[in-house]
Formats: sequence, structure tokens, C-alpha cells
Amino acid sequence: MVEFAKDPQAFIRNAQQEVEAAADLSRLQKIRVKYLGSKGAITGLLRQLGQLPKEERPAAGKAIHKVRDAVGKMIDERRRALEIQSSKPTHPTDFSLPGRRLGRGGLHPLTRVTEEIVRSFRRLGFAVAAGPEVEDEYHCFDALNTPVDHPARDAQDTFYLAGKERRLLRTHTSSVQIRVMEKHPPPIRILVPGRVYRRDTADATHNPTFHQIEGLYVDRNVTVGDLKGTVAFVFRDLLGKEVRLRFRPHYFSYTEPSFEIDFSSPLTRKMGKEWLEIAGCGMVHPQVFENVGYDPEVWSGWAFGFGIERIAMIVYGIDDIRLFYENDLRFLRQF
Amino acid sequence: MKITYNWLAQYVDFDWPPEELSERLTMLGLEVEKLERVGGGYEGVITVEVLSRDPHPNADRLSVCRVSDGKGERQIVCGATNFKPGDKVPLILPGNALPASSGSGKPLVIKAGKIRGVVSDGMLCSGKELGVSEDADGLMILDSKAQAGQPFADYLGIESADYVLDLEVTPNRPDWNSVIGIAREIGALTGGNLKLPAVELEETGDPVAERVCVRIEDAALCPRYSARLIRNVKVGPSPSWMRSLLEKIGIRSINNVVDATNFVMMETGQPLHAFDYRQLAGWKNGKAIILVRKARDGESFVTLDGQKHQLPRGAIVIADEEKALALGGIMGGLNSEISESTQDVLLESACFLSQNVRSTSKKLGIRTDASYRFERGADPEIVDWASRRASCLICEASGGVLQAGAADAYPNPPSPTRISLRYEKTNRLLGVEIPRKEQASLLQRLGLRQDADSENSGEFLVPSFRVDLKREVDLIEEVARLYGADRIPATPPRGTVGRHEHDKLHDGLTLARQILVGQGLHEIQAQTLISDQAAGIPRGLELVALEHPLSSDMNSLRPSLLPCLVEALRHNANRGVADAALFEMGSVFCLRNGQLVEEERLALALTGSRLPLFWTKEKETGDFDLFDLKGRLELLLEALGVRGAQWRRAESSEAPFVEEGRLSIGKQVIGRLGQLRPLLAAQLDLKRPVLLAELDWKLLLARRCAGKSFQALPMFPSARRDAAMLVDESISHADVLRAVKKAKPDFLQTVELFDVFRGKGIPEGKKSLAYAFVYRHRRRTLKDEEVAAAHAKVIRRLQNEIAAEIR
Repeated sequence: MVEFAKDPQAFIRNAQQEVEAAADLSRLQKIRVKYLGSKGAITGLLRQLGQLPKEERPAAGKAIHKVRDAVGKMIDERRRALEIQSSKPTHPTDFSLPGRRLGRGGLHPLTRVTEEIVRSFRRLGFAVAAGPEVEDEYHCFDALNTPVDHPARDAQDTFYLAGKERRLLRTHTSSVQIRVMEKHPPPIRILVPGRVYRRDTADATHNPTFHQIEGLYVDRNVTVGDLKGTVAFVFRDLLGKEVRLRFRPHYFSYTEPSFEIDFSSPLTRKMGKEWLEIAGCGMVHPQVFENVGYDPEVWSGWAFGFGIERIAMIVYGIDDIRLFYENDLRFLRQF
Repeated sequence: MKITYNWLAQYVDFDWPPEELSERLTMLGLEVEKLERVGGGYEGVITVEVLSRDPHPNADRLSVCRVSDGKGERQIVCGATNFKPGDKVPLILPGNALPASSGSGKPLVIKAGKIRGVVSDGMLCSGKELGVSEDADGLMILDSKAQAGQPFADYLGIESADYVLDLEVTPNRPDWNSVIGIAREIGALTGGNLKLPAVELEETGDPVAERVCVRIEDAALCPRYSARLIRNVKVGPSPSWMRSLLEKIGIRSINNVVDATNFVMMETGQPLHAFDYRQLAGWKNGKAIILVRKARDGESFVTLDGQKHQLPRGAIVIADEEKALALGGIMGGLNSEISESTQDVLLESACFLSQNVRSTSKKLGIRTDASYRFERGADPEIVDWASRRASCLICEASGGVLQAGAADAYPNPPSPTRISLRYEKTNRLLGVEIPRKEQASLLQRLGLRQDADSENSGEFLVPSFRVDLKREVDLIEEVARLYGADRIPATPPRGTVGRHEHDKLHDGLTLARQILVGQGLHEIQAQTLISDQAAGIPRGLELVALEHPLSSDMNSLRPSLLPCLVEALRHNANRGVADAALFEMGSVFCLRNGQLVEEERLALALTGSRLPLFWTKEKETGDFDLFDLKGRLELLLEALGVRGAQWRRAESSEAPFVEEGRLSIGKQVIGRLGQLRPLLAAQLDLKRPVLLAELDWKLLLARRCAGKSFQALPMFPSARRDAAMLVDESISHADVLRAVKKAKPDFLQTVELFDVFRGKGIPEGKKSLAYAFVYRHRRRTLKDEEVAAAHAKVIRRLQNEIAAEIR
């Protein structure tokens, strides 16, 4: 108390030296406790005030408070300086280091292509429909006007299930057309993606199962012109605006007139061909309408279908259909 | 089906080069799959005779020649000196190129023009210029037998170029299986007429009827059978043009009789067969009987390829009185085959029922060009023309004598099909206005005869070769085809808004896929046909087997997605990809009480490291475990809006799991999950834990509750009380939650488990669970006493209900 009273400035200088020497926040905290804590030096001085003569107390008290404020301010300033200093990085960050990632997932390329096609059709007002993969001969063949002795129905080409019922794995999604028309009155506007089966040994262009997508539109006064317009809309979406299409007369038992659709684009030219076959289509055969109880004099319609694998192979440049079914992650991760 | 360009050109006029012809046929629905050039060379080079040779008025080294090209005279300027008038020399006509000699770069195209002021119409060539010899000194002087105007290739004995068209004939158009059928189609396109070769028979022999008699047992199976007899033939090789043509279209030349039948089959589409007449019973007595009958029970027959066949009941057989001679419409027999010693040929031209031929050919496994044509439908009206045509060719090539007339059994000639076409219907279906006259004319060009016509419709008679035209829409298709599909304008998409019950499910599936992908899973698509062994991974399911599987690897339909996912994991592990998170959506099949059940499933598989490799030292990754899988499922359910899921351990399991967890909603089991049994995993080369789940997505999506409603955000502070408790191993987290719920505590907002502990300080058979309870009032701040009272209520309930010892 005596020394302090003699030279309060020296007290402050000492404190200042210590504060400035503090290299980090914990050291500074210790200094704060030393001076301003409940057992600190300045608090001690205040306690000693009572020992002074009464008339000296106000001046001494004032002086101690002044010192306390000065030291407090000094420490606060030092803290701010230290805080700024400590927030600076110790070393430069390497922004080229790989980030911490969760595992990445992805859709199968066939789903991707299917979804693109579905999106396009839905913009036109088509609803997605589905049906069973195990079918009977009626829905897969008879109702679609395929005669009993047609080669496609052969056990060579179609998978039949063991048993007497002659059940089979559907050879096309067209069986769903029949199921939908049996159940719903016209008009109809559906899109059917799904898995189908053909008894082909697997090689680069064949797999015993593959995917098709099929559109069906039945209404009053539906024309070949409508078919062409819708096909053009969807394929421009799918294969690019520069795509050209041509309709080539063909034969399918369940449509008449029937056509195959070829397309031409930079993609086909890259593959060394002007035209590449991509889909089959046609006007629903009146016999098919009669089979499901629609009057072909009132209703007309078109159907078209194509293989999803084929589109995916063209769009992504995949050269072996078996890759779709091996599920190699090195393949799947590319999409 | 193969034909050649030059052959086709004999039957109809067209002026399209081969590429354009192919394009035109393709656009008519007769797709040309391959166009191949065969033979040829020396195009535009002909033989000429030099008539005169005079000096060039303006050049000492040149001469001006007059040559004859067979049709007229040409003036040619020439630099050579080794020839004289009367010599035959090769001339290349203007517009043609010299054959490119090696290393000479671009071929030199010869033009008509003036050389030093004198017109020269072509170029006379040396052997070197034509590439036939090294002789460059002067013109190539040809043999005096050369004809002026003869193509040079012909002089050299080289056949001129031709093109083989390989065509894809659709099954509805049997008439396209012939050159004439295709020529007819081209005629329809050009409006030109069909040019059929003349068949003038020299029937110098006795009437056939004296030597052959045809009897058809069942006219339904054989609507027409015609036989001709050619005597005293000399069997030998065919003329070279015939052999060369057959070779181009892929038919092996046999002899001058058989080749003629094959040629006419390709020409007309009508299969023919030649028998050695002297092998028929009764020929010696001057009268052989041809009997068309059904095979007898147990009858066997040796076809001409030497194979013995047991004939199926009902097969059509051509026989004499003693034995079968041929399988009708399929193949002849060894016993009456044409051989080198054959003297008399009985020529069959007939028509057989397509179904019968198809079924016999299938049962016996014999497919021939003949059976292929009869299966698709033959034309009874071409039978006689084809027979006459082949007779001519056989006589010409073999020197035989044709007997007069034919033994032609044709009991019921069919009357032509009559179809009425409403012109307006065509326009309504195609979406284009084709005037009625044009429609009728298009059909007439295709060989239909118009019988009646009115303002609105026409009656058309269908020619016998068009077996595919049966009803109105068939005529509409013909109009569209010939009119040109490219001329029908496209209409912008329009029409009704489609509806189907599956549509909403499709959205649910799409969402589910996105959620799973977002959680790091890759979608797969596997084979649905797998081996019964793999399909047995989930036990106790009755498999659906195929009648004729492709292989034992693919003899069953998958009863579950799990074998497929496991196979995908194995495939990847074997290729060094040990970390995998996969899912699949697809159908599965099994038999339940003998009934086939097809279900839609979703399955997940996780194995390997939970997180990809990272460059810090933190070892937080570790391998996927069961709760990584469950977390993904929980998130899926939450995002889909499926509530009320319950997860229980199953007491027994048919799934290949160490322990099976079941996911159910209400009383319905929706799915299962668990860890693949390590032994099984090891057999599949999977070394790290494999977690699997399989759900029925139709049941799952049926439980979706898509509606959301907003709850006001809390405005007052909450109070948290933790409680750690010892419970029996048999008490589940779900039991704890149920007990808490029963306590109906006031203000309780959430209960969260934050620790499960077994081990030090915890008695055997017990576990310690630690929960955080959060209390909150909606409209005010809770008082400590209120929280304490509510919490005490919960604790009491836990003590009473599940004998929890609070720690």
C-alpha cells in the first residue's frame, strides 16, 4: 500500500509489461486473475483501504479504481489482439485436397433412360401403367391377333413355365395394352415400361430379359398423323432436336398399318450409318379392338414400342448389352 | 431372301441404280438388309472394229479413225500406229474411267471432245491402259472373233457386274419370296407392267394322262396338285448362266433338272419337285399313280438327305401305290431322287396347307426353302405357270421331250376375296386426304381389280397371291404404303389426359429411388432368371421353373431379390470392389399353394466400408453394420410418409440371416432385414459383413400418407432430464418407449436414446440404457417442480412396467 501510494504509475507500468508479454489467452487469463481476481493485487489494495486514515481513504480509493480500470482496459485490449492473432491460420489451406464425401449412389442407366422417356410422354398427358411379367397366351398372343402357329409363340423363342397352364414370360409389353383395355373403357392414353423376355442366348446384343417401353393412345379419330407427331416429339426430346425420323412400312400382327421407325442424327453417323432402326409402331388392328370389346368403327388408336437397352446403348455408346445386367460398380458409377 | 439386280431387271422396267432401288424397296416395307456387288469390271469398255485410219490434219503423230461400235460409227483420235482397218480393238466410251492402275492415283475419266481441233468420241486402249497386260506399245489387238459392240468384259469371258440384294421378307408377304413378286411391287411403284418370260411349250410327247394319274385324298390339305412328265432327259450340269445365278443367291447347283426347279421357285415363289418317274410303281405298266395322302401310323420315310424319319400322324405324303415318295411341301425322298441315270422326270407343282406343313416341319425339325414358302401361304393360281416354266427350262437344258398336258388336280379353285373399302375411312385413319380415285388407282396398281365403285366406297377383288389381304384395314395399309408414309403429315400431340392406377405408384417408386440414391446406394438391374441353386438362398419357397430353360444357370424365376443382390456383391468383390451399397426394384415369383404369385419388391444390400477413404487420420469409417441399413430404411419410410413401422426380431427365419428383423405396419409384414450368414457369405467370396433387406413395395406404397401439416414453432424454453437405467436384455427399446407412452407424462416432447452399454459394472443379462427426456409447454415456461413431477411419473412407470433400475 505504501509503495503503491508512493508511485501508482510504477504499478501500472509493471502490469503493462506483464500484459504485453502474455503470448496467449491462457497466460493473459492468469494475469487477469493476478491483478483483478478476488485474491488479486488490486482487490487486495482495495481491502487495505480500511487501514488508512479516514481522510485519506477517498483519494486513495479513487486512485486504486483508476488503476483497476487502466489495467482492465489494458487486458481487454491485449485479449482482442491475441484473439485476432489466434484466428489467423497457422499454415495455408490446400484447397486442392479432396473433400470429405459420403458414398455416392446412382440410378441404373436403364432407369435413367426410362425416366427420360416417361417424363417426355407425361408432358403430353400419358399415364404410366404396368402389368405382370408372367402372362397367359391369351394376353401375350391371341388377343394381339398373333395366330396360334406363329413362330414367335414357339418354345424356341418364348419362355414357357413348367406346368399345364402354358403360362409364359411376356415377350413384349403389349400384353399390358390388352389388360388395360379390358378393364378401362376408351379413351386410353398410357405408357408401359417393363421387363420382357425372349429365349435368346446372351451375347453382346442379346439378353434373355430386356426392357421395353410402349405407348398406347385410343380415342375418336386418332390418325397415323397423330402417331407421327407424338413419336417425333418424344424422340426429339430423347435424341436431340436435330434428329430426323422416317416411317418404313412393316408388319406386326396387332397393328395395321404398321411401321418401323428409323432415325438419323449425328449419333447414327458416328456409328457409320445414315439410318438406324429404333422402334416399331402402327394403328391398333381392328381385330384387337374387337377382342377387348371396343368398337373399331368408333375408336381408333396407335401403339408404339421400343427397346430401352437399345436406346441406352446408342445414347451412352455402350457396346455390350450384358453390362446392364452384371451390375459392375465400375460400370454403374459412370452414370 | 436373296435376289440380284440384273435378274429383277428382266421382269420390270426401272431406271434406279442399285442403291436407289434398295432405298425404294425398303420404304415399301421390303427391307434391304445388305447390298453387295458381285463380278464385273471394264464398265464402259467395248470392242470396236476399225473402219478407216487417216492422218490427223493438225498433228503428225496422231491419226483420225472411224470405228464401228455395232450400232453405228464413231470418230476417234488415236496416237498408236500398230493397227489397221479391220482390226478389232477395245474402246472406252466417254464418261467412263480407265481401270485405275496401281499407284496412278485418281482414275482418269474419258471425255468426248476435240483433240487438236478434231472431234474424238472415246479412246482406243492398249493392254496396259486396261490393266490386262504389260503391253503399252500400241493398241490391244483383239481376236478376230470379237464382235463389234460386244462388252470387253464379255470378250474376256468375265460376267458383267451384278448386285445381290438380301431382303427381309415380313411373314405376311409370302409373295415377296420370289423375284416376280418383287418385280410386281416395283411395277406398282412405277406404274410399269410386269414382263413375264414367254413359256411356249413344245409338247411333242404323248398326253400325260396316259402315263400319270393324280389322286388327292383330302383336298383341304392339298388344294392343287399338278404333274408334268418330261421323257428322255439327259441329266447333267446346268448351263453356266443358271449355275452362276443360283450361286449368287446362295443355292448350290445340283444338275440341270433340280436347278430348274430351284430357279423357278426363286422366280415364282412356287416350290417344285422333280421325281425320277421310273422309280414310281406302275410306270412299266404305262401308268403311275400319284397319291396325296396322310402318313400312315408308324410310317417311316428316308428324305433325300439320307435321314430316316418316323412320320407324324397327319403329315402330308406324296406316294405311289406302294410307298411314300416325298414329304408334301417339305422334302423329296431318296427313293425317287433325280440321278445321273434318270431318264424320265415327273415334275410336281402343288399347293399344300400351310398349317400342316408347319407342324410336320416343326415336328421333324426339317426346314427347307419349300416348307418356308408353304408355311407362309402359297398361291394355287401360280401352280400351272410355274410348272410350264420349269418344263421349258428342263427341256431346254436336258433335251427332254415334254408329254402333252398336265395331270392337274384342282378340285375347288377358290373365288377371289372381295373387300369393300370406304375411302373416307382411309383418310380418317391416316390423317390425310387421298382422293378416292387415287386410292382406287393405287390398289389397282397392286393387282387388285375394282368390281364396283360408288361415291363413298369401292369393291375390290384380291389377286390370289395376296393371301394377307382379308379386310378393309388391309387395303388401307396398302394405300398408305404405296402413297408413302413420309407424305402423311405429322399432327402435333393432342388428346385425352391418360389415367391409370399404376401412375401414382410410379411416382412413389421414383421418389423411393431418389431417396435411396441420395443415401449413397447404387441401383442395379439383375437377371430374373437364375439357377435353382441360387434361388434356394432364401429357404422354404416353392420355385417357378421354366419348361425349356436356356441353361441350368437360368432355370428358375427368382423368388426373391436377395440372391441377385448377393450375386452382384460377389461379382464386384471378385473384381476388387469390396465396398458396395446397392438396391434393386423388381418382380419376384414363387408358388404358394400351387398358385403362382408375382410380387414387386425392393431390396437393399450393404457391405464393406461405411465411408469412402479419407486423408485425415480419423478412423470413423468402419464397416457397414445392421443399423446403417436400418437407418437407410427409416429415412426411406420417413421421406415416403409411411408411419407406424414396427421392427421386431423374428424367432425363426427362412431368410439367410444370422438373425432376422421384421418390419411390419399394423399386422402386415412389409419386409425383412438382417446380416447374411457369414458361412454363406464366405462361400460367395464376401469377407466383410453383408447386410440385406427386402421389402414389398406395393404394400409399402399403399401405406403412404403424403399429406403434411404445419405445427407452430415452440416459443418457450424446454427442460431436459436424463435417465440411465438397467434393464433385462429381453427388454427392447420399443418396450421402453411403450412404457413411457403409457405414463402419459405431461409436457413430454421427445425421448431420445443416447447410450446402450453392456460390460464393466453391468450385471450379466442386463444392459444399461440412457435416455434424454425433453419437456416443454406450448404457451409458457415450465416451472422446475412441474418438470420434476412429470419426470417422476415417467420413472415410476419404467420401474413398474419394465423393472428398470434407475442409476
